[in-house]
Amino acid sequence: MLPHTEPSEISRRALLSATAFVPLSALLATAQPTPALPAAQTKALSAFVDRLIPVDELGPGALDAGVMNYIDRALAGVYANRKAGLLEGLEALDAYSQRENGSVFSDLTVPQRDAVITAVEAGAAAGFVNSAGFFAAVRSLTMEGMFGDPFYGGNRNFAGWDLIRYPGPRLAVGPPEQAMKVELKPVRISARGGEHAR
Amino acid sequence: MPVNLKPVDVAVVGLGAAGGVAVLPLVRAGLKVAGIEAGTWMDPHKDFHPDEIHNNRRHGVTTVPKVQREIPTVRANPAETARQGAASPMMNAIGGTSIHYWAQSWRLKPWDFQARSETIRRYGAGAIPQGSTLEDWPLTYQDLEPFYDTIEHEVGVSGKAGNLQGQIDPRGNIFEGPRSREYPMPPLRGSGFTDHMAETAKKLGWHPFAPPAAINSQTYQGRSGCVYHGYCSAGGCHVSAKGSTAVTTIPAALKTKNLTIFDNAQVTRIVAGNDGKVTGVLYLRNGKEYFQPAKAVLLGSYVFENSRLLLLSKSKAYPRGLSNNHGQVGRHYFAHYDSWAGNSMKALFPFDINIWYGLPAQGACVDDFADDSFDHAGLGFIGGTSMHVYTEVHPIAAAEADRFGKAPAWGSGWKKYVRENASRVAQCYLQTSTLPYESGYLDLDDQVRDPLGDPVCRVTTGGAKENEVRAGRYAQTKMEQWFREAGAISVSKGNITVAGVTTHTYGGTRMGDNPETNVTDKWGFSHEAPNLGLIGGSVFGTSGARNPTLTIQALAWRTAEHLAKNWKSIV
Ligand SMILES: Cc1cc2nc3c(=O)[nH]c(=O)nc-3n(C[C@H](O)[C@H](O)[C@H](O)COP(=O)(O)OP(=O)(O)OC[C@H]3O[C@@H](n4cnc5c(N)ncnc54)[C@H](O)[C@@H]3O)c2cc1C
Repeated sequence: MLPHTEPSEISRRALLSATAFVPLSALLATAQPTPALPAAQTKALSAFVDRLIPVDELGPGALDAGVMNYIDRALAGVYANRKAGLLEGLEALDAYSQRENGSVFSDLTVPQRDAVITAVEAGAAAGFVNSAGFFAAVRSLTMEGMFGDPFYGGNRNFAGWDLIRYPGPRLAVGPPEQAMKVELKPVRISARGGEHAR
Repeated sequence: MPVNLKPVDVAVVGLGAAGGVAVLPLVRAGLKVAGIEAGTWMDPHKDFHPDEIHNNRRHGVTTVPKVQREIPTVRANPAETARQGAASPMMNAIGGTSIHYWAQSWRLKPWDFQARSETIRRYGAGAIPQGSTLEDWPLTYQDLEPFYDTIEHEVGVSGKAGNLQGQIDPRGNIFEGPRSREYPMPPLRGSGFTDHMAETAKKLGWHPFAPPAAINSQTYQGRSGCVYHGYCSAGGCHVSAKGSTAVTTIPAALKTKNLTIFDNAQVTRIVAGNDGKVTGVLYLRNGKEYFQPAKAVLLGSYVFENSRLLLLSKSKAYPRGLSNNHGQVGRHYFAHYDSWAGNSMKALFPFDINIWYGLPAQGACVDDFADDSFDHAGLGFIGGTSMHVYTEVHPIAAAEADRFGKAPAWGSGWKKYVRENASRVAQCYLQTSTLPYESGYLDLDDQVRDPLGDPVCRVTTGGAKENEVRAGRYAQTKMEQWFREAGAISVSKGNITVAGVTTHTYGGTRMGDNPETNVTDKWGFSHEAPNLGLIGGSVFGTSGARNPTLTIQALAWRTAEHLAKNWKSIV
């Protein structure tokens, strides 16, 4: 055993004045008035993220969890510099789907979509600047939207945190909550206030 | 024309981990100090959140994005065009990167200060890696010990002594150098998993211990103990348990009324007179230029900016850049062979290890294969690696992680995998002692400029070095053994290479007795401009196998104290 100390003594003042935890009801996850991406590319992207995290017996998928809402807000704000690259990739995605299967990505059957994504992921899809890079970029945004704090517009009803059994943000954590092989009662709150993220 | 300000005794450039400490001995000695800092204050109650997107994904914990506006370019060798990579991990605020760092607070080993002579003594001159410019430091561990002790108590470091005045205590690190006093606080507690790893290390015959951290394990100097909530790795501490200089030495210095902070102030040049002494600094604040006259200047703007500011500050006395008449500014640059260099591993366990909470400084450490703790005969490298397993994982990172070849990266197969395993993956932190080489250096980029029109810093890494790669690989075999013995069913190894712009960088203004090969003397003052001091990792001549900041701070305190004690002869 490593030397242990008593659980930290936390001053009440410090805790009270610390970061405010707010209930989900305080969060208003509304979409941008004008979507960051044009309609055609929004359609392609939402069909793509729907296959990355599909709804199935393990629960909600990316779309139910508000991943598109997350991405839309991020592209309209802090990730504005990623928009051009993403648009280019989504156009390439539709063009590739047309060439391979005769329709844009969102009109393909599920097995066709999965085959396209597999090629894109492997860097084997023609017509992209870098198809593996495009896949990684979309996956990264999808992960943020699914598993980030709901404050940013995704992870609706904490679907992402439930999926991976994340026990949730706690203000202070004691030794029992850090034991191995325990099922903790999940905390389902946003660590942020109700105002909109930029 | 710049606005001329009232002269001060000392201008300290950058109030980060280094500058934030250096101000304290100066003001206590009664000197009037201007702390000139590109960023400003952060408010623990408003600015620090348990929020992975803000902290870890968007580098949101900062006050101004200066480091992002001047990301150094990187190339392996001069034949390549240097390019700017992803975001810089450093930040700009009062407190600097000590606000969101992991706060592992190590003393270097006696060996690190004398790696050259000790290697020659034990293994012969042929053991010094080819192309390395390794020198012994101009001071020993014993010389620095009192300053380590000072920082541990002024900032507040928790830990357990393993060598108290020569008395070995197996509850601490038995390989550490002798210390004069016990830590001011006991170590942070372990988690279920790190305790399990410590037990396992003992079974292997190794000597695990809880690593030291500038994080309160209990209330210290009015600041709360750690609450282990799991958002420390790129976040500020909302209960101020982390001993950033913004909540420790800087407030203590302000109390004396001898420190004036100029925030949101970016220093652009350090000015020198024809006699070779520095006369003050030029800075920009809200688009306006100011000249702050000072009798001495301490530069603590992190490794890349320390060299860049010197190279940009040309004058009659210093046509090739300040303190660069021997052509040594930017030389002997190197980056730690740690996870930034791919020196990393992950392990999958067949049960929930539950490391969501905690903090990177909560862990179990093994030093049996670090430094010169072991015999290197026949191994083909010198130095070694510290091994540390730790807690704190966030949901996005856990979901995104590699899958040990067991599942696809998306779709229902991935969902099934991630549901079962997100709480079962362990991480470790391996840090390999790194040497300076002739081929590693910093200079000014010839293409890329910052928004002010000044060239950014250019890093020439010299490529991955055989010695460090071998040392890292050796540690990876030990780490795998450790994970497997603890029950891991899969282990993945990073591919070790040389790092670019990272958190642990060194050199550029190396410290040494010889002015032909070093920028500063053994006190951290320029060999050329006697009233200019350099603080930060830029003065290091070796890295050791552990994080640099406690050593940075011990040296910064020592440099500042030397200035105060020798005021008349230096200025
Ligand atoms: C995520 C992370 C984790 C880390 N964990 C550890 C750890 O566990 N242990 C450890 O020992 N180290 C750790 N480090 C490294 C540690 O942060 C650095 O060693 C330390 O901060 C370096 O101190 P510094 O004062 O040189 O730089 P900084 O702390 O970065 O301070 C430099 C300051 O100078 C200011 N500045 C820069 N340029 C100018 C200018 N031109 N004019 C005015 N002001 C300027 C900056 O705004 C900044 O405030 C970590 C770093 C990161 C990013």
